[in-house]
Amino acid sequence: MTAFVTLAGVYNMPNFGVERSRDQDLMTTSRALDQFLSSVERRAFKIAQLGLRNDDDALDAVQDAMMKLVQSYASRPVDEWRPLFYRILANGIRDMQRRRTVRGRIMAWLPGHDSDDDEEFDPIAQAPSHDAGPAKRLELDEAIGALEIAVAELPPRQQQAFLLRNFEGLDVNETASAMGCSEGSVKTHYFRALENLRARLGDVF
Amino acid sequence: MTDPTEFERRAREVLEESTARLPGHTRSRLTQARHAALAQLENPARNWWRSYVPAGAAAAVAVLAVVIWSGPTQPVASPVEDMEILADADAPDFAEDGEDLEFYEWAAGEVES
Repeated sequence: MTAFVTLAGVYNMPNFGVERSRDQDLMTTSRALDQFLSSVERRAFKIAQLGLRNDDDALDAVQDAMMKLVQSYASRPVDEWRPLFYRILANGIRDMQRRRTVRGRIMAWLPGHDSDDDEEFDPIAQAPSHDAGPAKRLELDEAIGALEIAVAELPPRQQQAFLLRNFEGLDVNETASAMGCSEGSVKTHYFRALENLRARLGDVF
Repeated sequence: MTDPTEFERRAREVLEESTARLPGHTRSRLTQARHAALAQLENPARNWWRSYVPAGAAAAVAVLAVVIWSGPTQPVASPVEDMEILADADAPDFAEDGEDLEFYEWAAGEVES
């Protein structure tokens, strides 16, 4: 029990100068984290949405990633936050996909299970409808729908590489860190993703 | 065929537009998620137990060590004592059966005669 006494002693020592400095550091870190998270939250949600094809799951994945970044990596240098955050997010998305696969296999064996009850991501249904509007906006609506379907159907690693490199703007090194693979693998996955997307969307784009 | 760079630019533009159209309730939930995450940083008292986990673990190990090394309180017979008990159990106990003892004494007398 000596260890409890030691720690209690440390925290109870009156040292207002140290406490004020610690509070200032905390405020600085908090502001920096707030700025960082607000800069990535929407794109992170879009990435999770395309990977999971479910808005609620995507929100959960983004919130988990935010929590873990703050819990475990707030003290890391600011320039490490982006690849770290997307690494955490990618892991969360993958874990959810795996759980969903296992759950789907189990549910398939149960009597009375109707796969139509499962929520599915439908970018066409979610795109805003315009009965009348500028041709440009309609064209953009179609492009959004087509691209999101095509990206959602990419193999996971190609999807990750494409979204992190093209959409989020990470460089090859940062993307490799986020994906947990080599830079060469990132380039390969990205190239293949582009080829797939161009083959499907050449007429739309 | 579209130039890859042009295609990439177009794809990014489309995704940016899609993101900009996120509904208000989604944006609101993202804001709430961000605030909840930052609250962990601003309220370290919530995670006070994290500071004591190492000390708690050390205390638990110390208690476990005491339990293991203090040994059992009940006496346990040694292997040597066990053998003596077994050996005694194998040996015939003539005192318990007086009738057999008288017979053996008579038989011994007959043999000698």
